[in-house]
Order: sequence, then structure tokens, then C-alpha cells
Amino acid sequence: MTRALDEALRELLAQSLAAWRLTGNVEGVNDDAIRILCNGIAIRVERAPPAVPFRWMVTIDGRRRGAVSIPAVLRQVRSALDPGYARDKVRVAVTPLVLS
Amino acid sequence: MIPVLILTGFLGSGKTTLLAHLLRQPDFARTAVIVNEFGEIGLDHELVEASDDSLIALTTGCLCCKVRDDLAQTVDDLLRRREAGSVPPFTRIVIETSGLADPAPILQTLMTDVNIGGRIVLGGVATTVDAVHGAHALGHEMISAKQVAVADRLILTKSDLVGVVPSALRDRLAALNGSAPVLEAQHGRIDPRSLFDAGPYDLLTKSFDVQSWLGGEGADVGGHSHDHDIQTYAILRDAPIWAVTLTLLLETLAEHCGADLLRLKGIVNIVESPDRPAVIHGVQHVFHPPTWLARWPSDDRRSRIVVITRGIPRRFIETLIDSLEGEVVEVSVRR
Repeated sequence: MTRALDEALRELLAQSLAAWRLTGNVEGVNDDAIRILCNGIAIRVERAPPAVPFRWMVTIDGRRRGAVSIPAVLRQVRSALDPGYARDKVRVAVTPLVLS
Repeated sequence: MIPVLILTGFLGSGKTTLLAHLLRQPDFARTAVIVNEFGEIGLDHELVEASDDSLIALTTGCLCCKVRDDLAQTVDDLLRRREAGSVPPFTRIVIETSGLADPAPILQTLMTDVNIGGRIVLGGVATTVDAVHGAHALGHEMISAKQVAVADRLILTKSDLVGVVPSALRDRLAALNGSAPVLEAQHGRIDPRSLFDAGPYDLLTKSFDVQSWLGGEGADVGGHSHDHDIQTYAILRDAPIWAVTLTLLLETLAEHCGADLLRLKGIVNIVESPDRPAVIHGVQHVFHPPTWLARWPSDDRRSRIVVITRGIPRRFIETLIDSLEGEVVEVSVRR
């Protein structure tokens, strides 16, 4: 586990609020967790304990759920904070980028 | 496959004049034209001299909102007629959009329609900007700003009327889209060759000119415009990233920012493929599969991703790459 990744995730979550046009606060807390306060909702993101099949744990208003990856963390956080969020899946173009 | 060039620009910015001039040039001779006119009585197609068989006027509505299926059907019909020999064997298609069209959905249609997918390739987006009234349109019309933002080439028209193009207009264009070269056309006259390399595939040299497509080595793509919060910036990264990081990046951007991601194009240094960089291109949530170059186009092996967006902070994408790459590395180490 790297401290750098935890720091990157904290900043990513802060930047995510801006990208989603939400106003809130993201900060690290003493026990290596990240706390998000936004729209009156409190979210805690932390490393999952070794015994569980997740990488992260996301606690939203007291309810704790696992997340297998950083994209999964973002999805849980966004779903909690942004009622209008509708997941938009990537579509793969059928035309090539260049002539073959 | 047939390259498709999109010619767009706000109302009265000189698209039709430019197209009329281009079609008189030998280099543009074998060109089929689709003209989209918004209104009950279309006139623009009357002003364009092209073979009647290869000129189609789409007058049922604006391309970007009402007639996207019509566009795909029209391109499909044109290609079928070409294959059947009932129209001259054109070598490219130009789509002239209406002045109020958003080019992004048009690009998406061309990228995703399965009926035409195997037979066309994007030839790029060229956007005309009126040197007299362009600044006003950019300041007041969101569509005008989007047309500029997604362009591969910007063409200043009517510069003969102003003498010297106002620096404020050039600054605004650079802020909206610093990666697109700015060309000038007087009375519609422009070197057709300068448009042939508008897309990633250079129609003239038949080569993949990724440097030019990304705006060249020295392009300033760090602008920020206050026009409707549209920004263009380039993300540079020295260290290569894993292929799975790139996949996760594109998926996450599509999932969380698709509507605000007007365009993304780039060349990426991939760990598993150090000598053959990946070229990526996306419009909103639609992405081409990465294309692998045979070699790096220069000694510069940094990843370079040009992002044209409405309101997505640069740091969001930078930290997203850092986080995804960090997690991929961490997981691979633990295994």
C-alpha cells in the first residue's frame, strides 16, 4: 500500500466535486481515511481491511459498503451526492480512426 | 474507406462560400457533398456547384438534433450508389452543417452508425469563423463556441473586410481551442491542401499525421475561455501508463464527464508497448478503439492528451490518471 495513492485519491475526490459541479469539503482524517462533506451528507472512504474482497470501504451516512476499485469508489460517492447522476457507459466507435 | 470532412461554422460565417471555392479546385474534384440546411427553403445547395448526383441537400431539420438518422442513411445511400456506379467515384465526402448545428452529435453519428462504420473514416472538423462578427457570436452563442472548440482546423473568413484580424478574436480562438491551427480564407479562397490534413489521417499524404492533428509541437493548448466555460488544455505525462489504466481512464471519463467532454485526442505512452504509442480519440462518451502507431513520430515520448471540455478541471483528469495508475501498480505488485 502506498501513501501516495491515498493522497492522490483524496485530491481526486476533491477535484471530482468540482467536475460534478458540487460544493463540499474533502479532507484527510487522522486514521488514514478521507472524509467528504457535501450537500449535508457525510462520506468516509478508507482502505478495506485485508480479510475482505474489496480494496476500499465507503461509509455513507453510517452505511458501510465495499468498493473493488477507485472507479467503484467514485461511482458510490457520486450516486450518494448527485441525485441526477445517471451512469453513462463508454461507447466504442465502429469507424476506425485511420484508413486501413 | 472514404474520409468524411465536416465543415461547420456559425450562421453567416462563410461555409458555403468556402465550399463553393473548394469544389472548383482540382484537389477537391472527386468530392460528394451533403449540405444540411435548416429551414423550409434551402438555398445553400443552390450556391454550391457540384455534380448533381453527388450533392445532397438535407433540409428536414438541423443535423445535430433532428436528422442524425437521416445523415447516416444519406451517407449510406451515397456509398451504395458509388459502389453501384450510379454516381461518380468520389474519394471523399464533405458534410456542410447548418450554422446552428452542434458538431459533436454529428461526429458521434459518424463514429457509431454500424451501417456506415466499415466504409468511412473521420476526415476531421473544419470550422469557419467570421472575422467581422465572430467575436460577438462566440461571446453570445454557445453553439458558436462549441463549433470552434471541437474543430481540427479553424478558418477565419472575411478577413479582407477587417484588414487585420483583431487580436482579441485570435486570443479568444486560442483560448477555446489552442490545438487547432488558424487559417485564413478571403472570399472563400483557401488552399485545399490545408484542409486535407484536418483529421488524424492526412488525406493528401495518406499518412497518419498525429503531430499535426494534436496541434503540433509548439501549440499552446493551455487556454481558458470564459465563453460558456469551455476550456482546452493538454495533459503531459513523462512516465508511461499501463494499458488497463488507459482503459479505466476512458471508461471513467465517459461515465462521469461524458456530456462535458467535447473532445479528447491524444498520443499515449503505454508500458506494454514502449515503441508503439497508442492514439486515442473520443467525443463525449464515444471513443475509438486505440490505434497503435508503428513508431513514435518524434523523440518526444511523453504522453500528450488534448482535452476540450466544458467545466472539467484539468486537475481532475491529472489526478484521475495518477490514482488509476497508482491502483493498477499497487494491485500488480500485490500479485
